[in-house]
Amino acid sequence: MSQTQASLRGGPEPLVSVRGLRTLFATERGLVRAVDGVDLNIHKGRSLGIVGESGCGKTVLSRSIMGLLPSTAHREGSVRYEGHELVGKSVGSMRRFWGQEMSMVFQNPMVSLNPVMRIGEQIAEPLRIHLGMSRSDARDTALQLLEEVRIPEPKRRLRQYAHELSGGMRQRVVIAIALSCGPAILFADEPTTALDVTVQSQILDLIAERRQDRNMAVVLVTHDLGVVAGHTNEIAVMYAGKIVERAPTNELFANVKMPYTRSLLRSIPRLDDDPHTRLHAISGRPPDLIDPPSGCRFAPRCAYARERCHVEAPPLQPTENPDHVYACWYPVGSAEFFEREEELVATGVHVRGRQ
Amino acid sequence: MTAARRGLGFGFWLSISWLIVISLAAIFAPWLPLKDPGENYIVAGARPPYGPSSTHWLGTDQDARDVFARTIFGARTSLVIGFGAISFGIILGGTLGVLSGYFRGWTDRIASIVMLILLSFPGLILAILITALLDRGLATIAITLGILGVAPVGRLARASTLVFAERDFVTAARAIGSSNRRIIVRELLPNVVIPMAALSLLGMAIAIVAEGGLAFLGLSVDEGVTWGKLILLGAGTRDLERAPWISFGPISMLFLTVLALNYAGDRLRDYFDVKDITL
Amino acid sequence: MLSYVAQRLTLAVCLLLAVSALTFSGMNLLGDPLVNILGPIAADTKNPNSIALIEAAEAEYHLDKSLPERYVRWLGDLVRGDLGVQFSSTGEPPVSNIIKERAPRTAVLLVMAQSLAVLISIPWALLAASRARRPADRISTVTSFLLIALPNFALAVILKYLLAIKLGWFPITYTANDPFLSRIYQTFLPALTIALPAAAVYQRLLRTDLITTLQEDFILMARAKGVSKWKVLLRHALRPSFFSFITVFGINTGALIGGSLVVETIFRIPGLGTTIVEAIIRDDFPVVLAVVMIATSVFVLVNVLVDILYSFLDPRVKR
Repeated sequence: MSQTQASLRGGPEPLVSVRGLRTLFATERGLVRAVDGVDLNIHKGRSLGIVGESGCGKTVLSRSIMGLLPSTAHREGSVRYEGHELVGKSVGSMRRFWGQEMSMVFQNPMVSLNPVMRIGEQIAEPLRIHLGMSRSDARDTALQLLEEVRIPEPKRRLRQYAHELSGGMRQRVVIAIALSCGPAILFADEPTTALDVTVQSQILDLIAERRQDRNMAVVLVTHDLGVVAGHTNEIAVMYAGKIVERAPTNELFANVKMPYTRSLLRSIPRLDDDPHTRLHAISGRPPDLIDPPSGCRFAPRCAYARERCHVEAPPLQPTENPDHVYACWYPVGSAEFFEREEELVATGVHVRGRQ
Repeated sequence: MTAARRGLGFGFWLSISWLIVISLAAIFAPWLPLKDPGENYIVAGARPPYGPSSTHWLGTDQDARDVFARTIFGARTSLVIGFGAISFGIILGGTLGVLSGYFRGWTDRIASIVMLILLSFPGLILAILITALLDRGLATIAITLGILGVAPVGRLARASTLVFAERDFVTAARAIGSSNRRIIVRELLPNVVIPMAALSLLGMAIAIVAEGGLAFLGLSVDEGVTWGKLILLGAGTRDLERAPWISFGPISMLFLTVLALNYAGDRLRDYFDVKDITL
Repeated sequence: MLSYVAQRLTLAVCLLLAVSALTFSGMNLLGDPLVNILGPIAADTKNPNSIALIEAAEAEYHLDKSLPERYVRWLGDLVRGDLGVQFSSTGEPPVSNIIKERAPRTAVLLVMAQSLAVLISIPWALLAASRARRPADRISTVTSFLLIALPNFALAVILKYLLAIKLGWFPITYTANDPFLSRIYQTFLPALTIALPAAAVYQRLLRTDLITTLQEDFILMARAKGVSKWKVLLRHALRPSFFSFITVFGINTGALIGGSLVVETIFRIPGLGTTIVEAIIRDDFPVVLAVVMIATSVFVLVNVLVDILYSFLDPRVKR
């Protein structure tokens, strides 16, 4: 625990600090531990990527920080935003933060805009609620916002409905709505997954630009390490409700420690791959969050796991770089790791090569 | 899905039990130890209607006839009308629907037009019209209310047939040269019957209620007592004021029966995941 | 859009033509109009007096013409607003006058009933959906189930007993000569009788659709904007949940027309319900035909309007 605390050091006071956050859902089958003890700092103007397979709890984590959960969910631990403790706050008092201090861009712009409400109205809504703007002021601001997210013919768009816009444009509208009240932190939950490849980088660039202009923190939630590579300062890798590795972006790519992170990296297609190179999908499925495996939760799927991994859960520990922490007994680069790698190559399970 | 795992549930069997009890009571009414529904049980020195008592559980009507016995006897006619109506609706509507869903083309077009016209009449209006034109015998009333069911039943039968006619087992039967008749009877009917069962329970409830409506308009069966006619008997302001039991006895029996039919029908529909039932 | 409306209207007119032709020929083939008009005299073809009467009646009602000719004649009159002459020895007053006097009472009853049903069902559904699967919602589900199972004539008797006789909140009788407002007051209880089960049906449907809508991402998005719970329900969830509500509102109008006839006779409102019953007892076919045509036209037209309204409510539907 003291090691964890040490690794969360950092110069200025963070905008958001998360400590021991747990989010539990009561379901018919039992208690789902979607987020199971997470520590994080989010700094002003910086960008954090939360990465993991689907079902690892990354979406729930971002919504838990914001407090945007269904009534069946239960939060424990601490989320402090500029000194305010948010865990335990009622939905009613959270509403002051939503849209104004923290806002969110959702995965699928096809369904995150109201189908029967004009675009203009939807952008104006938070302006009128939080900033108390008049109808015409809100309209003018909405127009400026549409210009800011670079939507062509913004004036016409105000009177249109979501189904009249393309996917990329809709996501720009969603971003405009999220930016409308000048939030200090923007959560973007898989903002490009539902979009065409050509539009993806435009949207990510747009978010990065707005972040710099407005000195806003951004939390980018994605399953795709490739997406966060160029657009984040720091990355947290999640597995089965826990953070298993966290590091500044460059450091992580240069010096991977967790075998899980490594397999995520290997599943990114690269331009310099030979054609028809098989991508490494991680074999097996993420564990059941109702009854997670004891020990390291990745152990059942990990080619490098040894007996200890199945029994004892590894704590987060720092590398030589105190900002880089990981949870693994036999990390990439350790003697045991290489020993197993040799065996795997010898038995033909693995092909040495790209990492 | 979840319903299938949990079974039909206690409420369903409770409803079915009630339906069985009331049907048996209706069938065996003449042999049950009931008061004579036609007898005037005048008590010397008091004017009817008499309130509920140990001799007359639900009281008596204005002519000192036992309300409980009359309600049980009323069940005979009401249930026969309900059952007859839905049987007629199922046979005619089901045939129409299965044929139009199976053969498509012109059969389908003509059947659709017939159903469309039937559906253009507001329900009870069609019943009023037919009873106005024909006599008001038991069979006429039952058939009339059955006609109301033809279009909804037909639509459901057509929809289920369309679904099943595309399935592999039907294609397979066609491939081995089975006759249309054989395919319809052996392969399609068993699958169309299940959604029909749910619909027939709901439809029977509607027919029983519709008979009551006709009774209030004075257009129900000429002979015999029905629940509708029994309720009407006590519905006048003066009777309601001094002897509410005359109406409320048969109302509760009717209500419980309709409730049981609706509940059992709903459960059956959810259980088999039938979506197209609308009446 | 315009062509869509035209197409729907054409279909409606065709349906009404089919309905009227069926009803008209059914009445004329199954009954003997002459007997209905003149009674036993019609059979007495030996007496010169009755022969004169028969000939007069045949001329008056065009009974000497063929069935299709009579239908076309009747249809032509109908289009001009003339519903014909009632079957009676005098034929007075004309059917149109009877309808003009009585139809508005039924119309008021129906409009009141549907408005009440909508006014009750929307807040009810919002309340139930916002507390989905919690105790309040379960109670509301059971209540609506019970209400739907209660036939309108039974509910009429119960409400009359409780609200009019026991509590005395509403008058029991309808007086046709009273001023308009007191007649509205007298119509309230019958309207409520029709409205309550209808409200239960609408509520059940709207609740289901609201619960589905509330799962949508745009609702989460609205919450993330900081919109309050009730504004989320009213501004974001309600409108996209309205579509099946409107369809059923239209279809249900048919059931309510039938129901209103029954309720009218219970509360003694001299509207179309009492008119058709009296006419059937007297075998007065022109009146029966007129009421059937009015009820069917209203029903068919409401459904066309609902279809058109539907396409206005949902901007995604461009027809």
